[in-house]
Order: sequence, then structure tokens, then C-alpha cells
Amino acid sequence: MAKTRVKAVSYAKYGYLFSLPFIVAYLIFSLYPTLYTAVIGFTDLKGVARNFKFLAEPFKNFSIILNNVTFQNSLVNTFEIWIMNFIPQIALSLLLTAWFTSRARRIRCQGAFKVLFYLPNIITSATVAILFATMFGYPIGPINDILVSTGMIEAPFNFLTSPIAAKLVVAFIQFWKWYGYTTIVLISGALGINPELFESAEIDGARPSQIFFRITLPCMRTILVFTLITSLIGGLNMFDIPKLYIMDGGPADATKTASVFIYTQAFKGAYLYNRAAAASMIMFVIIAICSAVVFFIMRDKHEVQQKRDERRAKRIHSKRLEGLAE
Amino acid sequence: MRKFLAVVLSLAMALTAMLAAVPAFAADEGVINVYAFTTEVPDMIQKFIDSNPDFGYKINTTIIATTDGLYQPALDQALAAGGADAPDIYCAESAFILKYAQGDMSEYAMAYSDLGIDIDNAIAAADIAKYSVDIGTRPSDGKVVGLGYQATGGAFIYRRSIAKDVWGTDDPAAIAEKVGPGWDKFFAAAAELKTKGYAIVSGDGDIWHAVENSSESGWVVDDKLVIDPKREAFLDLSKQLKDNGYSNDTQDWTEAWYADMKDAGAQKVFGFFGPAWLINYVIAGNSGGTQPGEGTYGDWAVCNPPIGFFWGGTWVLANKDTQKADAVKQIIEWITLDTTEDGLQYKWANGTLNGEGGTKDTVASGTVMAKSNGELAFLGGQNMFDIFVPANQFANGKNLTQYDENINSIWRDWVRQYTAGNCTREEALASFKQAVTDTLGIEAQ
Amino acid sequence: MSTSKIALKHSNDMRKGANPIIYIVCIILGLLSLFPFWVMVCNATRSTYEIQAHAISFLPSVSLPTNYEILNGKTFNAVSGFFNSLIVSTGVTFCSVYFSTLTAFALIAYNWKLRQAFFTLILAVMMIPAQVISIGFYQFMYKIGMTNNFLALILPAIASPMTVFFMRQYMLPALSLDLVAAGRIDGAGEFRIFNQIVIPIMKPAMATQAIFAFVNSWNELFLPMILLTRKENYTMPIMVSLLKGDIYKTEYGAVYLALTLSVLPLLVVYLTLSKYIVAGVALGSVKG
Repeated sequence: MAKTRVKAVSYAKYGYLFSLPFIVAYLIFSLYPTLYTAVIGFTDLKGVARNFKFLAEPFKNFSIILNNVTFQNSLVNTFEIWIMNFIPQIALSLLLTAWFTSRARRIRCQGAFKVLFYLPNIITSATVAILFATMFGYPIGPINDILVSTGMIEAPFNFLTSPIAAKLVVAFIQFWKWYGYTTIVLISGALGINPELFESAEIDGARPSQIFFRITLPCMRTILVFTLITSLIGGLNMFDIPKLYIMDGGPADATKTASVFIYTQAFKGAYLYNRAAAASMIMFVIIAICSAVVFFIMRDKHEVQQKRDERRAKRIHSKRLEGLAE
Repeated sequence: MRKFLAVVLSLAMALTAMLAAVPAFAADEGVINVYAFTTEVPDMIQKFIDSNPDFGYKINTTIIATTDGLYQPALDQALAAGGADAPDIYCAESAFILKYAQGDMSEYAMAYSDLGIDIDNAIAAADIAKYSVDIGTRPSDGKVVGLGYQATGGAFIYRRSIAKDVWGTDDPAAIAEKVGPGWDKFFAAAAELKTKGYAIVSGDGDIWHAVENSSESGWVVDDKLVIDPKREAFLDLSKQLKDNGYSNDTQDWTEAWYADMKDAGAQKVFGFFGPAWLINYVIAGNSGGTQPGEGTYGDWAVCNPPIGFFWGGTWVLANKDTQKADAVKQIIEWITLDTTEDGLQYKWANGTLNGEGGTKDTVASGTVMAKSNGELAFLGGQNMFDIFVPANQFANGKNLTQYDENINSIWRDWVRQYTAGNCTREEALASFKQAVTDTLGIEAQ
Repeated sequence: MSTSKIALKHSNDMRKGANPIIYIVCIILGLLSLFPFWVMVCNATRSTYEIQAHAISFLPSVSLPTNYEILNGKTFNAVSGFFNSLIVSTGVTFCSVYFSTLTAFALIAYNWKLRQAFFTLILAVMMIPAQVISIGFYQFMYKIGMTNNFLALILPAIASPMTVFFMRQYMLPALSLDLVAAGRIDGAGEFRIFNQIVIPIMKPAMATQAIFAFVNSWNELFLPMILLTRKENYTMPIMVSLLKGDIYKTEYGAVYLALTLSVLPLLVVYLTLSKYIVAGVALGSVKG
């Protein structure tokens, strides 16, 4: 016991050493902008001015943002659109992962499919947004033409002014753009699993589905945490498609996400940098809380239990020592 | 993997070597920095340099499209940062010129008079449209800081064949009497057209610029949001257009809108509201033909609109910190105020900047247009300057604010909601006010 | 959950080979993915007015030479744009993948006092909305004179929190510390252990992240546009954006051609790297 501890201490310096490039790059390039953002949330900085002074009521920008109806609405939109795209996305990605990592099913053209699924992520969001806006064009557009000519609707439907339609389309684009990414992440996670586990399961006569749910999924827990957390962060910061699909989060603000809101505060007309910064910090807190919840739900129960046992053992041990002292 | 790493590593090394080889940029003596959002102005300046070998300067252009929303942040940053890379000349279009000529960024602009231009006399001699001068005048000191080369006063651009079918004439003076002045006559004409199965316009966006320009006050007065009654009436006009089937209910810049330029929409469309550039760059190309007889090409004419307006345009500004004021002066004068046959505007109006046969366009100077030929085959041989020169005088440059681009887009979004029947008139107005307050920090009155 | 039901249903006859439904689903998804590509390629051969009339067409037209002429006009230099983008994206990819793996290794293999705090910090950094941060970033770059310098776009990638997070999550189950210990017994230094033992195990993860880093950096428009003001430094997306100019003067045909051209290198990179995201790559080194 004592021996290993000495060893661990002697290697600890490499932990610092190998983190150094990250830390240095972060300090040089990102720390200042981050602090700057954190600070200007408490100031009167707006317009093209470069000088600012701190507000007499330090949290004024924060209370303005929290009481801002459009911001509240954008938060609701963000969650709605995220959930509408994330649930089908993770379901499909897991299904594809199950198919593509199964050793029993040798799917042909795997490589080709993996390339195809990731394609939507390669094209710039601007292009995707334009193509979809054209698809759903009104009164003339491919989707309307099909719906009308097949008699499914009588007159063209205005997808572009309907808040619900716009939300659904944005959620679909997000789903379509990101399921390939999620699938690749999950597949690469499954590839890190020790193959001996699969081999022994196969020898025991497990079916592919059993292998997937009993071995693959549990072994991918850490990567699933990554997927959930990054989707959450990415989803709550969703920006490109909602901004581009219909003019800055239209129609009627139905696709205005929190990030689009922050962007319009900072870059549109009034250049309210201070409020944009305050809104960013509020979003940061919301994301951090949601992430903490995900981490808690996905925590490794074995590990936690182990640690708790260790701690309890220690406590009992020390108590016993105290008792002896008495 | 090792191979892959080796490749990556060697690339990284090559990269470092390349970066080390990039020389540090020094302030170039003979270079004029130009910031623009299209190649239009930089190309003009290049032409100027080519035809004036003694000029002695080169240009370095930074072009950033407005369509990605990045032109303004980049320009603001470059102006504020100053130094050798700062723009000497920069361009602003009507959507955001107010910010640079009158609003937050106007302090960075150099007055034309400070460049050494005898501005009042030059404007009078060139007969520059008043709206254009009003927009380019900085309120803090009353000095002109920006002028354009293009005039964008608008006309009503209509179909000759439809006019003949409905009213038996395609004469611009007669048609102007039918569709205006004022919206009442315009909607009466719409009803007449409807009886023969025609839509008067493609969508509500077509009349918006005329509505916007007819108002007494701008969106923001004394930092408060003001909804001018004439702009508020757009709600009703838009609703009337849709409910009576006077339009095809399209949105500008979409497929359906373009389709209406060559009769591919649900109903044939009588006309569009627009300046000369709409004819040149949009309708002509989308008319389904390239010479009279093909598509709708040649079946068009222009007449006075029911209400005067302008739409678009580019203003040219100089940086107050420029070290090359003399060169900048020569360029700006040539672009905005030179009325001679060697000046830019004469070539622009006659379509001869890049050789004979180019696109003819309306220009800022009435003097130049008076001696130019604006006949277009696309308009059935009509001289468009007959209509567009007065049109520039009807336009109003006094009801604009630097927030217009954003407020307009919020406004039109809510008008569309109302017109589509997704909300009531009151709800639309209330939501509009709320959205403006929330996104721009401007309270409603 | 319906997914699991489907998975269960198909699994019964799996031994005989893949179920046709798998292929049907995959082919439908594949077609959905191909659709924008095919439209993009077709539009690259169509004229601006053809595109304005019908932006979505599955039939090519004849305007490819015209579009190419516009593309290679005065303001657009596809070759220099390509090389600039290549430099930036390769640099970013290398910095983010290599250093993130190294940082993740530090987080997993060593027991140091600030380890948990550092990991929490990385997660926190990842969660801050980027729009406003970018303002501070470019103002800072202007202040220290890093405009028109590719390093301002490349070096920040050394600190890529999301990549570190991924690498750590991947490494947790995949890297056995016994392997590291074995390396030490063989007398290898820590840095050598990282390069020769850890990196091979991380191949699928590194390839995955390399693809993402490269694609993101290749398509990045905002910061390059603001930081690179000289034409000779423009990247591909800036050049594409130039073609859009103004709403009434967008050369759509040339835009689509430029988009098509700028996607091709991404496909090459993706095809090359996706070879590493297959079973068998990582297996050799994992023991125990």
C-alpha cells in the first residue's frame, strides 16, 4: 500500500506536464475572452463603444434578460427542438451501432453506409438551410407540389409561416445532420471494448441482441455519457440551422433558440453586448445544471458504491481508533 | 497509424515553415484599403486606376458578403482597430448605411468637404437626388459623409400585354393614372385586374418598400419605437392582397416570386415595385427569355408608382484616419460626383464601363442621366430615365433609422403571421412591439 | 422503447446474415444523405437564373463552364483558397487531436492533485455559449496583431475541451493501466509510452475526432472572415461567401460549384480516416 502511493506521487508530475499544452493554449487564447464575457455582463457596454463602466445595480442585465419574454420563449424553443431531434437521433444511432458492431451480422457495404450517414454533417449549414427552405417553398416548392398533385392537400400549405411546421423542420434538419456523427462516435466507442468479452459471450451462446444490451451498451457507458453531454451542450447552444433556416429564428420567433437570441442581442442593430454576455452566462448556468443532472444519472453506480464502502471502512476504522484512544 | 502520424507531423512542420516565411505586413505606402460587400466598387476603382496610370496607388480589397451577416462586425472591428490594415474607403448599403453615416459608427467617417471636395456646389451641379444626400449627411455636424453612384428611386414595373387586356392601353402615363396615386386607386386597379384573372403584384413584399417610404416618421424617434399609421396600415394592405386574391401570396426572393416574372405562378402577375436594378438583375434574368418575344422579355414598361420610394443602393465613405486623403478624394469624386463622360456615372448609366453593351443603370446624378440613353429592349424600347429621374425626387430619405433592417424584418414577420391568419391584428402589433423591445432594447412609445 | 423491440425482432435470425430490413433502412438513410449532394452537384452545372426558378433539380444543365469562369474570376482563387484552408484545417486537426489525447492521458494515467478540478474546468469551458466569447477573442487578436496570421486560427485548437472529453471517455475503458506499467518495466519513458503504446490504442478515437476537427475547421466562416483581411489569406468558405455578395447579385451557379469543390477534400479526408473506425484496429493492443 505504502509502496504504490510513493510510486503514484513520483508520476504525478507527468499529469501536470502533459496537461501543460492545453493549459497554456487556454490561458493565451481563451481565458481573456471568457473573462471579458463574464465581466461585460455587469457593465453598460453596447453599441460600438469600446469603453464601459460597471452598472450601479450589478445584476441589472441579468434581471432584464430573465424577464425578457423573447428570451424565455427562446429557452422553451431550445428545449422543444432539442428533445424533438435528440430522442429519435439517439434511438436511430444506437440501432445503427447495434447493427454495425454486431459480429454475427456481417453487413455488406458497411464502409459505404458509414460514409453516407456522415455526409449531411459535411455540408455547410448555410447550404442545408437554403435547400430545405426551398424544399418547403410556398406557394411553389417541391414538397407543396407533391402534396397538391397527389391530392393530399387541396391548396399549398405555407410551411414557412407556420410556427409548428418550422419547428418540426428545424428539428428534422438537426436530426438528419447529426445522427451520422452520433453513430460514428458510438461505433468508435464500441470498438474500444475488449473483444474477449464478445468471444466469451458468443461461446456462451448469447444472441446478438443480448450481446448488445448486456455487453456493448454497459461497456460504452463512458462514451454514452460523452454523447449525452455533448448533445445536450450542442443542443442547448443550437445556432446555425435555426438562424439560417428562416431569418434569425422566425416565423414568429418559433425557431428562435437561446443562442440565436444571444446572437441577435450582440450583432443585430442595437449591439447589446452586455445583455448578450449576461444571457450567455445564464445559459452557461442552465447547461451546467443540466449536465450535472446527466452526470448524476449516468454515474457508475459500482464505482460510487465502491468509493462509499471505502470511505465507510475508513470512517469505522478511524472511529475504532478514536474509541481506543478514549 | 504511424504513417498517418508521420504525414500529419510533416504537414505540421511544413506549416510552421510556411508561417515563418510569411513576411510581417508593413504599412504599404501606395495601397488603398477598400472594404466592400460586392466586387462592384473595387472593380470600379480598379478601372479608375487602369485608366489613370499616373495615379500611383494600388488597391487592396476586403470583400465580405452581407448575406452571411459578417460584413458589419468585420468592418466595425477594422475601423475601430485602425492601423495599416484599416479601410481607407468603405461601402455601406441602404440596409445599414444609417449606422455609418448617421448612427453609432458615423464618427469614423470623413466628411467629403474635409477631403477637399466642394460638396455643395458639386451636389447641385450633378443634381444628386435629395434622398441620397439626406441619408449620407451626418446629423452631428450636418456634413455629407457618404454618397452613392447608383440611384434607386423606384417605379412600378408592369406588363404591357396585361395593361392592354384590361385597360386597352400600355401607355406609362395612362397606367400611372390607373394604379395611383395612393393605395385606394391601386386597390381599385387590383379589383379590375382580378376580374380578368390577374394578380396586381406577386406578394405583399412588393408593396412594402413603397409603404415604408411613405411614412412621416421612422421606426425610432427619441429612442422610442413609433409605428407610423402609414406603416401600420401595411397590416391591412397585406391582408387585403391575400384575402381578395390580389396577389399570389409569395415572399420576395423565393422561387414563387421569381416564377411570377415569367407567368409561372398561379395567376399572371401585373407588376412589381422596384428600382432599375430590379429590372436589370432580377426581372430580366427571370423573364424566361433574352430577347423580345421570348418569355415575358420586352413585354414590360415602367410608370410612376402610386407612392414614391427607393430601394437599396450603395454609399461610399472615407475613413477619417486615412493617410491618403488626396487619393481617396480623387476616387470618391470620380465615383459619386463626376458628371463628365469620363466619370464613372456616365459609363454606368450607358452600360459602357466594361465596354459597349453592358447593363444600363440609373445613376445618382440627374445631370448624367439627362445626357444618357436609357432605352431598354426589355422595356419595349422605353427610355427608363424618363420615369426614374423624377422617381428619385419622390423618394424620402428622412424617415430612416439605423435599426430599420432589423425592425423591418421583425415587422414583416408579424405581418405575415397576421395575413396568414395565425394571429389577430392586435396580437401581431403587441408581439411586434414586444420583439423589438426584447431584441433591440427599444421600448414602445 | 420501439428501438429495442426492432433490434430484438431482427436478432432472432441474425446468424444467417443481415436482415433485409437493415439494408432497406440503411439505403433510405443513404438516399436522404445523397439528396443534397446530388442537388449541389447538379446546381453546379446550372445557371443562376435556372437555380432561382427551381433551386432543386435532379438533372444537370450546361452552365458548368460559365460557372467555372465566374469562379476563377478576379476575386476568386480556388487554388490559393484550397491551400490556405488545408494549412489551417490540418494544423487545427493535428493540434486538437494530438494534444487532446495527451491531455486525456494526463487525466487518466496519473493521479495528481488538481486532476478532478482540471477535468471539471474542461467541462465548464465546453459549456459556455460561443457567440459572445468570439467577440472578445477577435478583439484580443486585433489587439495583439494576430490578424492575417493562421496561427490565430490554429493554436487555440490545442485547447479543445470537447475533444479532450471524448478522448478521456474513450480511454477510460480502453486503456489498461497495466499496459502503461508494463511499458515502464520495459524502461520506456512516459512520453514514449504515450506515443508508442497509448496512441495505437486510441486510433479509432483519434480518427473520429480528426474527421470532426477537420470538417469543422474546413467549414468555419466566422472567425476566418473577421481575422483574415487579405485576399491572399482567404480560405475556401470565405471565397464561397464572396460569391454571394448581395442578395440581388448572387452567382448561385458558381456558389454551388464552389461548394461542390470545397466538399471534395472533406470526402477524401473522411474516406482516408474512416478506415481506422473499423473493428480490429484497436484490438491488437488491448489486453486484460
